[in-house]
Amino acid sequence: MQRRLPLSFIILGTIGAAFVALPVIGLVLRAPWGRILEILTGPGASIALRLSLEVSLLATLCAVVFGVPLAWILARGTFRGRAILRALVILPLVLPPVVAGVGLLQALGRRGIVGGWLERIAGIQLTFTTAGAVVAATFVSIPLVVLSAEAGFRSVDPRFERAAAVLGAKPGYTLRRVILPMVAPQLVAGAVLAWARALGEFGATITFAGNLEGRTQTLPLAVFQTLQTDQEGAIALSLVLVILSICVLVALRNRITGTG
Amino acid sequence: MPLDVDVEVRRGERTIAVAFAVADGETVALVGRNGAGKTTALEAIAGIAGASGHVVLDGRSLMDQPPERRGIGVAFQDGMLFPKLSVLENVAFPLRAAGTGRDRARDRAREVLGELAPTVDPNARPGTLSGGERQRVALARALAAEPKVLLLDEPFAAVDAEAKPELRSLLRRTLASFEGPRILVTHDPVEAMTLADRLVLLEDGRVTQTGTPDDVRHRPATRYAAEFVGTNLFEGELVPDEEGVGILRTGGGELTVVWPEHLVVAPVADVRATLSPAEIALHREEPHGSPRNIFRGAVEEVATVGGRARIRLRTVPPLVAELTTGSVDRLGIAPGHEVWASCKAVEIRLMVPGDEPDTL
Repeated sequence: MQRRLPLSFIILGTIGAAFVALPVIGLVLRAPWGRILEILTGPGASIALRLSLEVSLLATLCAVVFGVPLAWILARGTFRGRAILRALVILPLVLPPVVAGVGLLQALGRRGIVGGWLERIAGIQLTFTTAGAVVAATFVSIPLVVLSAEAGFRSVDPRFERAAAVLGAKPGYTLRRVILPMVAPQLVAGAVLAWARALGEFGATITFAGNLEGRTQTLPLAVFQTLQTDQEGAIALSLVLVILSICVLVALRNRITGTG
Repeated sequence: MPLDVDVEVRRGERTIAVAFAVADGETVALVGRNGAGKTTALEAIAGIAGASGHVVLDGRSLMDQPPERRGIGVAFQDGMLFPKLSVLENVAFPLRAAGTGRDRARDRAREVLGELAPTVDPNARPGTLSGGERQRVALARALAAEPKVLLLDEPFAAVDAEAKPELRSLLRRTLASFEGPRILVTHDPVEAMTLADRLVLLEDGRVTQTGTPDDVRHRPATRYAAEFVGTNLFEGELVPDEEGVGILRTGGGELTVVWPEHLVVAPVADVRATLSPAEIALHREEPHGSPRNIFRGAVEEVATVGGRARIRLRTVPPLVAELTTGSVDRLGIAPGHEVWASCKAVEIRLMVPGDEPDTL
């Protein structure tokens, strides 16, 4: 049976939904459909698009490679300071991205506490390089992998690990054959969310890696720069990000709608 | 003994200290209520409990061995089959973990599955199996790597009543053909009495009695032991009554018993007595005639197990009687009814301290 809702809720809810939908509708309505292909296949756009995919996928890979073991430690470890470690790992999620960028400069910049050493010993420079853009995107997206994977690991009955140990499996083998397959859905969800976050990353990237076309200018940065001179071009690039975001929603539809 | 266990495990506030031994080809049932420490004891043997003390197998200490080197096969409660591996991969798991090649491990897994779970599809996921099938696969997995010790943890816990008899006979055959020490963890008297050579009773983290099912049935050391084997146990002071007759004064109620022939006629403290439930007769009207012990009380519970009913009575002292289900119907016994219970003095077996060796 349908429950009647108070009229005030229906009105406020409708305004809320419209508020969320209108910007996307605006983009679609104002898009330069006539020359959209021309814009997107143009040199500036295609370079930014390719760089964006490269940076966001590499950042996702890094976030998974470092985030999943971290999530395992947080889920199963029994050490002091675990709560503090978790808070620290989640911090990039709530930290303003530009602050993250400034922080990354102090840590990994040419005169940063690790960056200077990195450059002297290994000859690696991160600022103003594509690697730097990957670092910035990894920084902001790793919490999403950790949160999702940790929730997954926690949902696994620890008796499975004990059972595997008794059956003769070393911890690494148990993790690979038993636990990771069980948490695969959460790992995929975390990776997809991390990828979406990495793809949209703006503040930390422009602060830490700069805005160099072909090297660190990802799609969001390109949108921002194009907007100063060519509004239609900016809309066209934005639409690409809208479409990629919708793909993320489709990929995660089961977890978002809560249905099977 | 080939397997000698004497371990202590701390679990927060409480300590579980368990000692027992199992011979080759012997099945020991580790029994106790939920929380008595059965599973902890099993985990200590398997090497996943963080225990102190010793576990010795064939004269070799296992305490410094990690779980994967102990050679102990466990069929876990609820199976604990890995949900993302097929039945075949589950059974091959201990072999693969020990470094056996994939094809050889699978061949061996198929062989064990063929013996223990011939009707189960090897490619099925565990989630699609029934409780009985899961248990069969778990047993196959426990045995696949040819362990030296076999541990079964509550093998019937997740099994439907109708699948139990078949699984029980499979377990009996499997246990009989396993040559090393065998341990069955259970809280179910029927499983323990039908599958085990010896019982080890655990209460609150301690062993309170060990013995064959018959030993425990005839001489239960504690109230739990008596309940477990389905016997009434009384404890109290034995005082002389008329010639050849005594009264056992328990905390709640008195029983008329036969005075032991050789016992000096004087009050004796701390006497225990057992009474088989089958020796108690129930009546709707007050019985007349020879029985010395007549009690009146309400029926608290009627539990039926295969043609026989166990009736818990709120008499003083409380009693458990066993009748055929036919008698229960004929007498019209149901929870809440007032009934009379009677038994002959001669049916009450006395255990007088110092008179008989202590069973503990």
